[in-house]
Amino acid sequence: MILVTRDNNKTTVRPDGEDIVAATLQELRAKMREIVAEGARELVIDLSTVRMVDSSGIGLLISAYNTLQKAGGQLAVIHASADLLELFQTLRMHQHFSVSGD
Amino acid sequence: MPCASAACGLRRTLPATLEAIEAFLIEFKRSACPAERADRFAAELLLREALTNAVVHGCRSDANKQIRCAVRFSPAVLLIRVKDDGEGFDWRSAQRCGASLTECSGRGLEILRCYATHVRFNNKGNVLTILKRFKKGKPQ
Repeated sequence: MILVTRDNNKTTVRPDGEDIVAATLQELRAKMREIVAEGARELVIDLSTVRMVDSSGIGLLISAYNTLQKAGGQLAVIHASADLLELFQTLRMHQHFSVSGD
Repeated sequence: MPCASAACGLRRTLPATLEAIEAFLIEFKRSACPAERADRFAAELLLREALTNAVVHGCRSDANKQIRCAVRFSPAVLLIRVKDDGEGFDWRSAQRCGASLTECSGRGLEILRCYATHVRFNNKGNVLTILKRFKKGKPQ
């Protein structure tokens, strides 16, 4: 299940209990595209219940970042686990968008 | 059941689908050895990337093709060997180029390089061998 909450200009997406990996990210990709198409410019991905993100999931986040940046928006990742924080730092994702932990 | 100290292993032939990978990963996680949380994460990530690479790039997601996977693991070491039915790929070129910061793909090999102790492809590029030594196990 994907939870979406809106607060003024900020839209928060929480993939509840889902890993963001090649086999499961189609629904999240479609939801994020829909949100951006609706005009959201400040997108927050809440990873509080996500345990694993693979290279396909990283690609999805980069794709969202690229789209939002072109539209003058921004992406942030919050509540990443220690393992995911290390992964994002290893791949220099923090050079693109804000990444914060639990 | 997790093994306490001796080496364990899994050997499976899988159809080249992402669903088959997920089923195999569930089996691997039930039996995986590393005691440290970060090591378990690294072990799953490496196996996941190796298998996804074989399905998506090796077999072009053709479910009629097969992937042979052998995994051996102890608390100190993880050894993965993945062979796919595909035509192979130019891993030398892929390794040289890498992914630029804003590219949406190409990070699988980067993850392997960053998380594994050794990564090796055969000449054709359809057999991938990964060795990971865990910090909390035997010293490297």
